[in-house]
Amino acid sequence: MRRMAVPGLLGEYAAAPGTFDELFEAAGTPRPHFLRTLGLLGAQDREDFARLQALAERALLNQGVTFSVYSDARGTEKIMPFCLIPRVISATDWAHLERGLEQRVRALGLFLDDVYGPQRIFAEQPELRHFVLGTKLYLPQLKNVRPPGGVRIHVSGIDLIRDEQGTFRVLEDNLRTPSGVSYVMENRIVSKRVMPEVFEQARVRQVDHYPARLAETLRAVSPEAPERSTVVVLTPGPYNSAYFEHTFLARTMGVELVHPADLFVDDARVYVRTTRGPRRVHVIYRRIDDDFLDPDAFRPDSLLGVRGLMRAYAAGNVTLANAPGNGVADDKAVYAFVPDMIRFYLSEEPILEQVPTYVCARAADRDYVLDHLEHLVVKAVDEAGGYGMLMGPQSTREQREEFRLRILAEPRKYVAQPRIELSSCPTWDPAKGQVAPRRVDLRPYILTGPQGPWVLPGGLSRVALREGSYVVNSSQGGGSKDTWVQRGPT
Amino acid sequence: MIARVAQHCFWLGRYLERTESTARVLQVTGTLALDAGLSAEQCWMPVLAVFGERSNFAARHGAEAECDGERVQHFLTWDEQSPSSMALQLWHARENARAIREVVSLECWEVINELYLWIHSDEARAEYVRHRYGFYRHLRRNLQLCLGLFRNTMLHDAPLDFITLGIMLERAGQTARVLDVHHHAFRQLPAGHQVVETTLWLTLLRACSGFEPFMKRHQGRVTGDAVAAFLLFEPDFPRSLHYCLKSAHRYLLRLRPPGTQGAEALSSRLLEQLRPEALSHPDATVHGLLTQVIDATTDLCVRLSAEFFGQVDMLGSQSAAQ
Repeated sequence: MRRMAVPGLLGEYAAAPGTFDELFEAAGTPRPHFLRTLGLLGAQDREDFARLQALAERALLNQGVTFSVYSDARGTEKIMPFCLIPRVISATDWAHLERGLEQRVRALGLFLDDVYGPQRIFAEQPELRHFVLGTKLYLPQLKNVRPPGGVRIHVSGIDLIRDEQGTFRVLEDNLRTPSGVSYVMENRIVSKRVMPEVFEQARVRQVDHYPARLAETLRAVSPEAPERSTVVVLTPGPYNSAYFEHTFLARTMGVELVHPADLFVDDARVYVRTTRGPRRVHVIYRRIDDDFLDPDAFRPDSLLGVRGLMRAYAAGNVTLANAPGNGVADDKAVYAFVPDMIRFYLSEEPILEQVPTYVCARAADRDYVLDHLEHLVVKAVDEAGGYGMLMGPQSTREQREEFRLRILAEPRKYVAQPRIELSSCPTWDPAKGQVAPRRVDLRPYILTGPQGPWVLPGGLSRVALREGSYVVNSSQGGGSKDTWVQRGPT
Repeated sequence: MIARVAQHCFWLGRYLERTESTARVLQVTGTLALDAGLSAEQCWMPVLAVFGERSNFAARHGAEAECDGERVQHFLTWDEQSPSSMALQLWHARENARAIREVVSLECWEVINELYLWIHSDEARAEYVRHRYGFYRHLRRNLQLCLGLFRNTMLHDAPLDFITLGIMLERAGQTARVLDVHHHAFRQLPAGHQVVETTLWLTLLRACSGFEPFMKRHQGRVTGDAVAAFLLFEPDFPRSLHYCLKSAHRYLLRLRPPGTQGAEALSSRLLEQLRPEALSHPDATVHGLLTQVIDATTDLCVRLSAEFFGQVDMLGSQSAAQ
């Protein structure tokens, strides 16, 4: 019954053996929840679809939905490659993710409060002490500083993948300045514009209220009354790769986008320089790393920062979102302890699975890792963006030997995980002019205010566009898809 | 409003206005050159003079190339070594807009961005070769669209005021230079050739988008003095010096930072100079008056940058592109 009548765009689609496909149970058989959506999408022929895909790309370019390429002096910009075929998530799956993400972010928030407060967890998990207090990510000057409003992880992006059985697993927590949410909204605008009929029938939950929720969250943690608070977005400037997103958020929240040089601190209060003199700032949604926030506190050589900002923060006169010092909680080694944190702080069992992780600082784990390098993914704990990794199954003998020596020299710097066969999603391959399976991940966004966490129903589905690739990062050939969370039964 | 943002607004307005003006002058001159019976040099040299690019151009192509309309147009359209080329000006305009994307409305940003992408496309190159008039028209229409969208899609608030202030001061400078250069050039022509002379004054009006407004005021009576007086003093023509500087003055009063008055005083004095009586003295000339006005406008911009943006050297295009 479920076999699609029309061959069309998706007729010859078949997922790779041994992977879980997001939209199809088997070749020609859509998952039951997505039957109607895929029927409509698949009714087009390849030529129609190629035209829509080109329209979508043109729209993104014209709107300037781009990221800057660092290496180019003139600031070349590229659009993040976009595939118009959506990644769809059923209402049931989403309800599970939502509960799991809320739980995880709540536990991570309590962990940060503990680390910068009584440090109770170290009594129970002595190994953690080193991973937390022994890194540059821990900011001792913030010990016993309670952030205004009591929130530390205002905005988080939790990266999820789906294994061979279709189980969602947390791959990584991003609790500092997670980016990409603007693409969630821009991708949605393009989907609605380019294929309104399919979209309308798919019964998709909205994402466009995110900026309003973010503004509300930020005002709610102001040291001043919300209605009298000035909120700003702090950007390093137009040559930052996420600059588009900074302008997007400022524009859609209706707040000012400031550069560090626009701000100054006087008497532990933060002000913005305006054409009519200084104006007090209460909440800074900062998209600058901790290291570059304040040259007085961190890097004296930094030209980016605002001198005295950390003093103003410690005095409780300004809210920084996210709070400085969050890096200790989304570190790749600390990740291994998150299920225990959930049990410790919430007395609950973790709702979301994560990827089993071998911490090379433990002798037993290290020995196992060194014996099984060709089966494992080894990650340096201080690298991001897919760099500093060994993909065991695809590696050469030399690469494995190199990592073996690196692990032996600095075991604390490395963790390893079994390679999870990422799920695939039908994706347009422009070179072949047809739809093919490509691996995807998912980054949902969670806002946390004094009332607790809220999960945006959607997220950024990143896709490894190259055939056979596992790397979804936009800096290395990744693209994105619109993520359609289906409405529940009404 | 953040001073840095104000400065980008101001320069965004200036670059867009300047690009539109360049496209208009090139378009009008190209049409004039077809049948005015003027030498190529009489047509194209004044264009270089209007944009202050004679020496720059001569250094690159030699002074004798001033009579080569194609080279002049190429120089002012594509040559990124020339600070006056439209390709470079559009880049500046877009960089300024990109620096304040949260301020410029989405509609305006899209027009600016698309036009920037267009002028760097093969399509634009082909249009330039195939249909020059259409090329200039495409540029002008989109720039005018953007100038109109500013007023109709943005809050009528400080950012728009700074954009408009930039537009008005830039436009005053453009009208003054176009009038000065052409007025001077036409006076050099042998007297008595009524038809040619009329054609030239009409061309000058077209180069300022002023042909129809002038005719409505003068019902076909075209004289050099009337055209000059119209472009200088007509209170209701949106490109006359009087209109531009008066409206710039209004924005200055609105935006003035507390405790400053230098720019405002300069602007008041400028408006005082710009009265029809200024030409009634026997020694007074249009060129003399225009020189005064152009110098005073330059001083005003320097003063304004210092008082409003906290900068003293903001007239250079490099600094504006930051």
